[in-house]
Amino acid sequence: MQRVMHRVEPSLPPSRLLIERRFPLQMNVTLPEIRELYDSGKAGRWNPYRDIDWNALAPAQYDEAVRQAARRVWSRRLWVEATGLTETPALLMRFCMETDREIDSKFYLTVRNTEEAWHVECFDRLAEAFGGRIAAPADPAYQAAFNRNLHRRVMDAEQHLDSYVASFAAFEDGLELELCRIWRSHATNPVVLAVLDRVIADKERHAAFGWHYLTARAPRWTAKDRATIAVELIEHVRDTELKGYHCPWLAPEHAAAEAAADAIAADAGLGGAPRAAEEETLATYTANVREKLAELGIVLPMFESNRMRAF
Amino acid sequence: MTLSPEMSDAQAFELVQTLLDAPESRFPLTFNSDLPRIRELFQSATRNQWDPKTDVAWDQLKPEMYTEAQRYAARLYWSRRAWSEYGAISESPSLQLRFGLENRPSDMQLFFTIRSQEEARHAEVCHAMAERLGGYIEKPVQQLFEGSVSTHGVRRATLNAEVPLEGIIAALVCTAEEIAFDVFKHLDDVTRDPVARQIVRLIMRDESRHCAFGWYFLEAICDTLTAEQKKMIENSVITMMEKVELNGYHSSWLAPENPASRAEVEADRVTYEAGLGATVEEVEKPVFVATVQRIRDQMKPLGINLPPFSHPKLGVI
Repeated sequence: MQRVMHRVEPSLPPSRLLIERRFPLQMNVTLPEIRELYDSGKAGRWNPYRDIDWNALAPAQYDEAVRQAARRVWSRRLWVEATGLTETPALLMRFCMETDREIDSKFYLTVRNTEEAWHVECFDRLAEAFGGRIAAPADPAYQAAFNRNLHRRVMDAEQHLDSYVASFAAFEDGLELELCRIWRSHATNPVVLAVLDRVIADKERHAAFGWHYLTARAPRWTAKDRATIAVELIEHVRDTELKGYHCPWLAPEHAAAEAAADAIAADAGLGGAPRAAEEETLATYTANVREKLAELGIVLPMFESNRMRAF
Repeated sequence: MTLSPEMSDAQAFELVQTLLDAPESRFPLTFNSDLPRIRELFQSATRNQWDPKTDVAWDQLKPEMYTEAQRYAARLYWSRRAWSEYGAISESPSLQLRFGLENRPSDMQLFFTIRSQEEARHAEVCHAMAERLGGYIEKPVQQLFEGSVSTHGVRRATLNAEVPLEGIIAALVCTAEEIAFDVFKHLDDVTRDPVARQIVRLIMRDESRHCAFGWYFLEAICDTLTAEQKKMIENSVITMMEKVELNGYHSSWLAPENPASRAEVEADRVTYEAGLGATVEEVEKPVFVATVQRIRDQMKPLGINLPPFSHPKLGVI
């Protein structure tokens, strides 16, 4: 095998990295709900190679247009899920570098990352089965929605860690969970159903982590902290969700091919949902989040877009 | 700076140019298996997961069988093991991050996800053992020993674009982890307490994959390396040996002589004599020497030539 050393050229301003003070190293349980997520993640371990009956996928039963659409859908899901392969290790390190963060979250994040890797394996296998993984969005402009530099953001000392958890663990993982549920409700293929069942079980923990963590931390927040969290959540919805990261129909100018593929795959029961169902999911989920955040003293405004109703 | 209300004012940061400071460019995204032996390690790890809560026969641990001094020494030993495993949770994820940023074969990223989980299990089980023996200890009893067990700069090196990844893996995995693995094999021979021994075996099983990862990677790339790059790898391994391993990171008796290291060595001796998991200089020394010689032999065909190493307690290896 021919491989060459790769070289990354840093061109952005230098990062501000926290200097870890390791001792005293607390390892007792301080966040029992999150320790329980860690324990249930270990207990609920699964194996993408053994626990899914891949032969039942039978891609040949679908016509070429459907297979191509499914290929694109699962490739895009792979682009999304692959975020965890760089973001989660960065988030884990940030928890370790910041003084007095709880061991329970650190342990939990290691399990989350393994689950993300299994999702990657499954999504990749689905894309391959339907004709081959698609390596990039049809329109290069859509790539920006995925190249979010989250690993850099979370390692930056100026990034408020609780605020990061609010946007990217609580809100985003919760939305992914709800979208998986709606895709599952429209799916008919037994392998797609089996994959989504496993992914949903994992993502229930992923989303729960974010909300448990915020609930535990909220009593310590100042008004300034709450304002920071609200601002970053608003930015997340505006810069990620409304740019079509999860729902390509929100960005038809760049993601028309992906949105069209979603519609065909949804109709064929291969793991999507009609646009109207996804819109309803996004609106309902955001409304629920708004209520939960209000209990934590965070005000999330309504969002307006010319692509969907105000939510 | 104050990042949050409860954070100590002493929490400092450094302004440093790192690999993080390159704009993300994840496309084209490939998950082909370019290193199938490493993909198989990931799959094998997936098949062989275990849980410290349910897969250790904790009821067989009888702390009351041991004296107060033995329990205390063993608490210290297993706490130190937990600190060491924690280092891999805190620092090694930087390697996974780097694999992604450098578009290395996806097999490497996938394997490291489960590797970090294994390190968490190791920290968890070592902490649980210390707790059952009377209580986990949160820091070295004597501050002087912190230098031997805190960090060996993996995160900093890994995020530095100027430090080649190949050298880090050769030093951290093919050297440090290999030494750790052989220590575990040796502990399996000298540990009598059934629970301590079970823990040693469970950890050792995972560590064998961790070591294999490093060798599979080096073997896959060695033909592509220039003489200069191989020299760089040599230097990384030499630094790991001289500054970390021979400084007592895995074996407290190798740490510089001071009251702190003497206390750790003494605790190890009491733990070892009780059969609760540690080892001592006179029985570990030949194991350590053999490991270093084996690493040297294994690197030689790859074009990496390690020099003799010396230590007051080992002579020249």
